Amino acid sequence: MNTELRNKYAIVGVGQSRLGKVPDSTALGLLAEAMTAAVDDAGLRRGDVDAIVCRGPDDIYAHHQRIGEILGIDAEFSTSVDNGGASQILSIILAVLAIDAGLCSVALCGYGRDSWSRTHRSEEARQRASLVPEEQQHGEFEHEFGLFGAAATHALGARRHMERYGTTKEQLGSVAIAFREHASRNPDAYLREPLGMAEYLAGRPIVDPFGLFDCSVPVDGAGAVVVTSAERARDLRRRPVLIRGFGTFNNLRGWTAGERMVETAAKRSGAKAFAMAGLAPAEVDTAQIYDCFTSMVVAQLEDYGFCAKGEGGPFAASGALRLGGALPANTSGGQLSEGHVEGMLQIVEGVRQARGDLAKERQVEGAEIALVSGHGGNTVCHSSLILQRG
Amino acid sequence: MTEATAGSATPRAPSGTKPPRPFPFPKPTRDSQPFWDACRAGELRLQRCANGHWRFPPAPLCPECWTREGTWERTRGRGRVIAYVTFRRVYHSAFAPLIPYTVAVVELEEGPRLTTRLVGVGPDEVKGGMPVEVTFEPVGNDVTLPLFKPAK
Repeated sequence: MNTELRNKYAIVGVGQSRLGKVPDSTALGLLAEAMTAAVDDAGLRRGDVDAIVCRGPDDIYAHHQRIGEILGIDAEFSTSVDNGGASQILSIILAVLAIDAGLCSVALCGYGRDSWSRTHRSEEARQRASLVPEEQQHGEFEHEFGLFGAAATHALGARRHMERYGTTKEQLGSVAIAFREHASRNPDAYLREPLGMAEYLAGRPIVDPFGLFDCSVPVDGAGAVVVTSAERARDLRRRPVLIRGFGTFNNLRGWTAGERMVETAAKRSGAKAFAMAGLAPAEVDTAQIYDCFTSMVVAQLEDYGFCAKGEGGPFAASGALRLGGALPANTSGGQLSEGHVEGMLQIVEGVRQARGDLAKERQVEGAEIALVSGHGGNTVCHSSLILQRG
Repeated sequence: MTEATAGSATPRAPSGTKPPRPFPFPKPTRDSQPFWDACRAGELRLQRCANGHWRFPPAPLCPECWTREGTWERTRGRGRVIAYVTFRRVYHSAFAPLIPYTVAVVELEEGPRLTTRLVGVGPDEVKGGMPVEVTFEPVGNDVTLPLFKPAK
């Protein structure tokens, strides 16, 4: 594993857009809000940015060109990323590699999507109601059998996990409840009402074993970060957060092959990130885990080595994921409650926790090391990021 | 809480007034057309390369050995349930009358795994590992679907 890059680069600014229902904006408009906020946060100016690595709704062609035009930035290096929810950490990895290769020096990475507006703004939108552009959907072996939506694909894995390891619905509920409790402390979160186990279990059935509260919540929103060298970071406004480790792995042979439905690409992606960082799972102070569905948190807790395979359910149910627990996770409320922005807000939250500048009721005390995960393409692709207070 | 909808899932389908959407017929490709032709003839045929590796979904070469040569070989049409989900809400109006219905990943005795819908078994009776066999259901437009039912 390449340890030369360990702590050589840093995240020096973070930003996010308005979050929730923002019908007066667009996916690109939201991303512009987040990116300008991130540059401001870093104490930099437009002219300092010379690279963009980003993603938006997957039907915007050459997305980086569009956002570059809006922001008035010509780039030494720019591209859009096409790796689903694994794209956002991958953007940061690509930025580090590009800076290290001397192609650029200050990179803006971000993601934005008008997911709420796309699925709710009109009756037509409510009917169509898919966030995957039609031309990108499979034309066979899926819809004709009644298989629709990401929830069902992931529920296949959740059911297998339950049958194989005895994972229970209540254990999945403990994930949703913990993250909702965190969201209640976050004024920007979309769903902040407390959630109890009885209400969780009574959630509207979606696709067994998932009910409403097992599924992330679609919002309009965007997040962004600024990446540059640790050396340059020393002169900037904010305490830098060092990029201590990263990893990727993509199960391109498919979701249903082998045991991938219960043992995800997080295992190999995470092992690489820990090796680069020179850290063990027990040294992580807070985890921001890609929570498209409750069961995927359980599987990743195992795959990252925070507990043994099959023990993710009991681990979550022990209260470990709560603020004050052994591994405070998704401390902004996660995609299950704060809002689903494809993992971008988990990166922002990981940086804020490692900077240690959150309000006291939200801050993981003494957090030095934060792990962030991202997966996408129905959990085929995975990226991992380990951050350290600078 | 009524505003919360199922994340990467989709909002509740409006009830009542809208006409049902057309059935989402498969769109065969040059690679998959023989699969659908065989189903119409009441046979479950998959690609098998010259070196004996079965494969699914249909592809232009064998992912194990990259051999392009091979045939469409008839399977026994028997396998076991690897994973399954039961749909409790409507995603597509063509399936509304079937709710609750169960979609499963079935591993055939020959090895490949197929996504399919289970018939002849209630959602609460399905279990992982359950043996199943193919049954063919014409759905119009000259399309026949390979569904699976509990094995005799």
